[in-house]
Amino acid sequence: MDYTNQKNPQNYSQMEDLKTLDLEESVSETIMRDLKMIAYKLKYVLIPKEQEDNGKELRNWDLWGPLIFCLALAMTLSFKADSTTNSSKSDVFAIIFVLIWVGAFVVTLNAQLLGGKVSFFQSVCLLGYCVFPINIEAIIIAFVGSYLPFVVKLIPVIICFAWSAYSSVGFMASLVPPHKKKLAVYPVFLFYLFLSWFSLIV
Amino acid sequence: MQNFGSNNELDEKGHVLNEQPKIKVKFEPKPKPSKCPICTIEYYQQFFNIEQRDVYMRIRCSILSWKPEFHQCVGKNPDLWGPLWISTTIIFILFAGGNLSRFLLEEDKKHFKYEYNYMYVAVLIVYAMAFIIPIILGVIMKYILKSELGVFDIVCMYGYSLSAYIFVLILCIIPYNEAQWFFLMCGLANSTIFLLVNLWDFMKKNKQTVLIAIPIISFNVALILCFKFYFFRLIYAVDD
Repeated sequence: MDYTNQKNPQNYSQMEDLKTLDLEESVSETIMRDLKMIAYKLKYVLIPKEQEDNGKELRNWDLWGPLIFCLALAMTLSFKADSTTNSSKSDVFAIIFVLIWVGAFVVTLNAQLLGGKVSFFQSVCLLGYCVFPINIEAIIIAFVGSYLPFVVKLIPVIICFAWSAYSSVGFMASLVPPHKKKLAVYPVFLFYLFLSWFSLIV
Repeated sequence: MQNFGSNNELDEKGHVLNEQPKIKVKFEPKPKPSKCPICTIEYYQQFFNIEQRDVYMRIRCSILSWKPEFHQCVGKNPDLWGPLWISTTIIFILFAGGNLSRFLLEEDKKHFKYEYNYMYVAVLIVYAMAFIIPIILGVIMKYILKSELGVFDIVCMYGYSLSAYIFVLILCIIPYNEAQWFFLMCGLANSTIFLLVNLWDFMKKNKQTVLIAIPIISFNVALILCFKFYFFRLIYAVDD
């Protein structure tokens, strides 16, 4: 077993090798390793240059990353819910949480029904990771949004929405036959539009 | 030789007498005969057998509602992609547009409160109109009034009839009462004419079948009343 790449695993299979050390290491090491894996996948999904192997890395799907981003987004958006909406914080948290998971489920189901041959969780994993830019814009708007005019707030929203949509569209479009691409991609676009809108009005 | 509960009877030397048929265990996964065919994904795949060109043509048939071409467009291939995503788009427009319309009217923009209840109500109304009502009407038409159209044909038709509302509801964001009523009336006319024109062949059969026009018109009218009085109600500031 090669330990030289232990600090910076170059790919997921080397991370798998490290898993045999699980029981002997401290909790902080385990957590750091999982966080590094999430960061690695995030970089892979969001920066198109990293995808040299045409999305094969996505076969090692996980739902930790999507869960973390979903919780972060729901918490950010419910943070100021009392002052900006007529609903309570817990209502807003619940709406966002359900929207992300049900939305990812329905978008994936749509791709499968259109004839896409993809593992269900692989697609949900990708959609979850692509929620990260929406997280960034939600945090920006939540903390500095009240000082900015509406038009200025739109700029990060549009950029992050475009980034999310662009990252996931490539994968989703590759799943279905050519004449059905727009039918598989439109729901993805609508899903991120919903989430971007929520982060805009927080 | 120990006999661990064999099915076979043995003679005094331990040879097998009257060999029982051996139970063969196969490990091939058999396709489960589904007790509920409607519950499987495979059943619904037949309704997603369309291309982007087909969806474009069907939406075009719906917007040009006075031409009874929808059945030609659809053929034997009703789809569920259109109804599902058109209704979801309308839900988004109702939520975003309804709040935006109120925001534009609001004087105190800094302390504007968004109404998240719009989301719940929108989901309820739009999915009921796009799925539940056409399923009920379709079942009545097929099994009681003996129509040739299947339940999913009616669901498909209703789904595409809502496509005009996408444009109408975006225009309804303009916070003027008269403008909103005008656009909603256009949407109502378009949607109702589309449904009636394409069901005309069925309706002209006899007196009973003409009556199907009544629930169609009433549900459409109820829909725009919901749009106007819940999502796009104009609350004018009252000067005391």
